[in-house]
Amino acid sequence: MAQIEIRDLGIDYRKPKSNEVFSAVDNVALSVEKGEFVTIVGSSGCGKSTLLMAVAGLVSLTRGSIQIDGKQINGPGPDRAVVFQEASLLPWRSVRGNVKFGLEMQRWNGGDLNERAMQMIRLVGLGRFSDYHPHQLSGGMRQRVNIARALAVDPQVLLMDEPFGALDAQTREIMGTELLRIWERDKKTALFVTHDIDEAIFLADKIVVMGRNPGHIKEVIKVNLPRPRNEAILDSEDFHELRKRLRAHLAEDMSSMQLVQEVA
Amino acid sequence: MRSAEMTAEPAEARQLSLSFLHPSRSAVIGTLAVIAFLVLWQIAPAMGWVNGRFTSRPTEVFFAAIDVFKNDNFLFHARISLTEFFAGFILAIVVSIPLGVLLGTSKIARYLIDPPLMALYIAPTLVLLPIMVIWLGIDMAPKIAVVFLGAVFPIVLNTMAGMSEADPRFLRMARSFGASKFDIFTRVLVPGSLPALLTGLRLAVGRAVLGVIVGELFVSQAGIGYQLNLYGSAMRIDRLLVYALIVSAFGYTLTVLVRSVENKVRDWRSK
Repeated sequence: MAQIEIRDLGIDYRKPKSNEVFSAVDNVALSVEKGEFVTIVGSSGCGKSTLLMAVAGLVSLTRGSIQIDGKQINGPGPDRAVVFQEASLLPWRSVRGNVKFGLEMQRWNGGDLNERAMQMIRLVGLGRFSDYHPHQLSGGMRQRVNIARALAVDPQVLLMDEPFGALDAQTREIMGTELLRIWERDKKTALFVTHDIDEAIFLADKIVVMGRNPGHIKEVIKVNLPRPRNEAILDSEDFHELRKRLRAHLAEDMSSMQLVQEVA
Repeated sequence: MRSAEMTAEPAEARQLSLSFLHPSRSAVIGTLAVIAFLVLWQIAPAMGWVNGRFTSRPTEVFFAAIDVFKNDNFLFHARISLTEFFAGFILAIVVSIPLGVLLGTSKIARYLIDPPLMALYIAPTLVLLPIMVIWLGIDMAPKIAVVFLGAVFPIVLNTMAGMSEADPRFLRMARSFGASKFDIFTRVLVPGSLPALLTGLRLAVGRAVLGVIVGELFVSQAGIGYQLNLYGSAMRIDRLLVYALIVSAFGYTLTVLVRSVENKVRDWRSK
């Protein structure tokens, strides 16, 4: 049995100040095996973040089910941890304080909190910065803290919502490599949402391509690039092939959007 | 590329060297301005530009100050005013913080009390002074009431704002780690609203000082405001100014004190 099993998932929202219901995600089915790194890619408005938040237990389901290790999820749980896009670090806490936050919330009893936090901070390469506050760090460093906070609680599944979306291209590439280095250690099951095609391919064992109106899965693409990976594979033949395929998908989405705008 | 990111010094370190020049320069200009003003004030009556009876002189004020501290029962009056100030202010804190927290965390409570609260905040609470005197007499009680009324609203409103305007991204993050409502309150809402609370306290200091002095000016038998009134009607401008300076020094010191705590707490918000 797969570790994450999503069946017939549908999520509706009621638009504020009207009774109009719109569907953010519909008819989504997806299985993720233990230890698999899955990226979810699609243009904005395709419901990819909603899907991730649903797995996190932060959004309630309208239809269908999400199971983790065979158990129906009911709200957030210690088996999952989320890395958010940005600005989710508490500004009044130091790096160490932020990494400890999740441990505190889950009443962590696996040894000394400080020691556990420091271990994670060193793992993401911020050992020297544990007493700094978020506003003293660069965007890339902040996301390292974000990752350390999620890993600290030792989740079964790591959920990442465009964690590098606000970073510049170069930092983003570095962070991708770093993330893989960290991930290779214990290969936790990972769901990673992005709108960046290269990022989606570079990280993934499996790419989920989503389309919009309502958000649905268009295609699931296996990525057979060898691991461990580094920037060199960005220029490989297989990578080019995958990039072309994803681009075609996203271009299709863009053109349908333009059509809508013309009609409107 | 990676090493560049890792060794990047924090932004703070770079700013320190610049801020070095700034305050010393403004301090020099500020001091010069004060000296110029004092000199002008001293010579203006002698030159016949103004009538010294109405303006006094810095030297006269200085000697009046020594006199006030030595022979004017100063401590007696100061104790009364301070008692009124702190009784009203502490009472305001005790009432306003829980009220602000309640209003900040409960939408229904907010819908219910927000409009009258706003109205009371905007209206000068000193208009209630005559009623307070009728109700509470001419002793310390009406002044304490006015201090309380002046201080309570800024603290309530700022605490409320700090609580209700918590960043929803923090709340979502906390929930993702399984935080309970209580966890969210103690670990996210309280620390997050501390700067706003301190802003409320700072604004309250000014209103409370005003409450004490105006209350005593209005009707009283003792206190700093009483002395102000006394020397005002006796045309003792020098002593009047001594008391005025004492009041403003007190309010200023307290404000600076709260602000320094506020800045410390707000440090993380600066950028």
